[in-house]
Amino acid sequence: MKLLGMMLPLLVSLSLLSGCGEKEKVIVYGSPENEKEVEAILKEEDYVDKTTVIQYDNSMLVAVQIKPWDKWKKAKLEKKLQKKFDEKYPSKDVFVSADYKIFYEANKIKREQVEDNKLKDKITKLKKLAKEET
Amino acid sequence: MVIVFQSKPSLIAGGVVAGPLEKRSIFSQYFDANYDDERWQMKTNEQGHRKMVEEACEFAMKKAGVKKTDIDYFMGGDLINQMTPTNFAARDLDIPFIGLFSACATSISSIIVASLLTEVGASNFALAGASSQHNAVERQFRYPINYGSQKPQTAQWTVTAAGYALIGKHQEEYPSIEAATVGKSVDYGMDDPFHMGAAMAPAAFQTIQSHLEQRNQKIYHYDLILTGDLGQLGLKLLKGMFVESGIKSEELTPLRDAGAEFYGQDETFQSGASGAGCSAAVFLSYVIQQMRAGTFKRVLLVATGALLSPLTFQQGETIPCTAHAIEITMK
Amino acid sequence: MEKEQYQQLEQNATPKPPYFKNVAKAFLVGGLICTIGQAVSLFYIIFFDFTEATAGNPTVATMVFFAMILTGFGLYKKIGQFAGAGSAVPVTGFGNAVVSAAIEHRSEGLVLGVGGNLFKLAGSVVLFGVVSAFFVALIKFILVTIGVVSW
Repeated sequence: MKLLGMMLPLLVSLSLLSGCGEKEKVIVYGSPENEKEVEAILKEEDYVDKTTVIQYDNSMLVAVQIKPWDKWKKAKLEKKLQKKFDEKYPSKDVFVSADYKIFYEANKIKREQVEDNKLKDKITKLKKLAKEET
Repeated sequence: MVIVFQSKPSLIAGGVVAGPLEKRSIFSQYFDANYDDERWQMKTNEQGHRKMVEEACEFAMKKAGVKKTDIDYFMGGDLINQMTPTNFAARDLDIPFIGLFSACATSISSIIVASLLTEVGASNFALAGASSQHNAVERQFRYPINYGSQKPQTAQWTVTAAGYALIGKHQEEYPSIEAATVGKSVDYGMDDPFHMGAAMAPAAFQTIQSHLEQRNQKIYHYDLILTGDLGQLGLKLLKGMFVESGIKSEELTPLRDAGAEFYGQDETFQSGASGAGCSAAVFLSYVIQQMRAGTFKRVLLVATGALLSPLTFQQGETIPCTAHAIEITMK
Repeated sequence: MEKEQYQQLEQNATPKPPYFKNVAKAFLVGGLICTIGQAVSLFYIIFFDFTEATAGNPTVATMVFFAMILTGFGLYKKIGQFAGAGSAVPVTGFGNAVVSAAIEHRSEGLVLGVGGNLFKLAGSVVLFGVVSAFFVALIKFILVTIGVVSW
């Protein structure tokens, strides 16, 4: 019991600090064009915490995680970012989402290294999911 | 005015039956039966309540050696609307029935009426008492029993118990009922149904004081003055009122409360026990048995009751209370 | 003894509720329930096709289900006695209010008993929740029309 009493604060603080490490902030997957550009745009917005961009052909899925305190304005910031991307890439079909599910699925796509056709289907599916209301 | 019984009716026997939680009571050894099912294997709580009343009466009659057909009157009441559990038990007992309501003071008010009937010669044997069943009462007065509301420390627990006494003509070997005081409806402005001890203490004080004055007695004349269900806080307030009236606190040792002592020191029951069954159960088991054993020679039993309803509370009214007392002696 | 004198005596004798301890207990239990709710929400997001926006429905349903189980076994009232508002305020408290009333009134039949008394405790919550939502929306509508705020 005493050992646990000494170890517990140490364990708790270690687990809390583990979240402080530098994780990859911006991930871009899919066709390699515009990678640097997209990264730059997203790094500019200081309310963006993490983001994963999936692109294939002419469609792009931008999944962002907003910083905690800015989450109150999540919907507004999502719209703002969407407008920015639409202006920058009018020829592309860009979809921005601040939802955690989309972000999680986007990361899964990158992790599984999904290719080509399947990638296109996945992006369409995710876009549809994000538009659901109930 | 105090009622003095010249013929000294006898409290021949007491039948007390209680539910499963009441096994944790310090008085449970004196009860006639402690059941495992608070519904007595009936379908609803109210039916179990009725069964409990019947069982208590059976025990009282058996212990006194009398049959249903020998009994002249059945008097009793409970806390449920229109006293249906007692009414339905009366149906099965098949004895002329007077239902009485004095909330938790019903045990004593029915014994007073039974004693009066015996005194005028109208009754040879009468059953009198009261009962309460926790689930049925909670549902009516407060919240559904599974509701997660937080009860304060001043709250009391309604017991599941029934106590009925067999009152008969004077016989030397049984405790005698010598006098009684009928209480008034007393309201000192208390309005918290979770703090009924505070509401009832003034009524108990008035009744006890009136009885002592009219009988020319003092507290030390009694071995025991037992109130029904003031709870720990209510008892404290009662003693406080006596001290304010000039009596020294050392003289207050005969003053005890059945509700405060019922569950011992168990904190689950906050300030103590309450309910019409609380006074009935303790008075008609513990007190009678101790009197017959010689521990108590002169006892004042004061049942206290809060005369409110869920509606009056919602309408913002205060809580008037009453207390009835009987004086019992044993040779 | 006079009424005022007695009321003074009663004030002095009655113990004060342990407010600080009660607040702490409510805070911890309420927070714990909400943490469990968040875990349930994440469960639905990760293992099923729910987004943050749509996961609210199954999460609430699951929490009410937990409350129902706990109420049925008589455990929720024990939590309630300990936590007070901490267990009454979250949606599990609402579930408890409805389920406990349903259990209680089963003996009077399904229509008049259960149906008629189901919202005995929770009715006020539903009513005043809807009414206040209406007024807040109305106020916002007025402010937007004036031009002070935007949607």
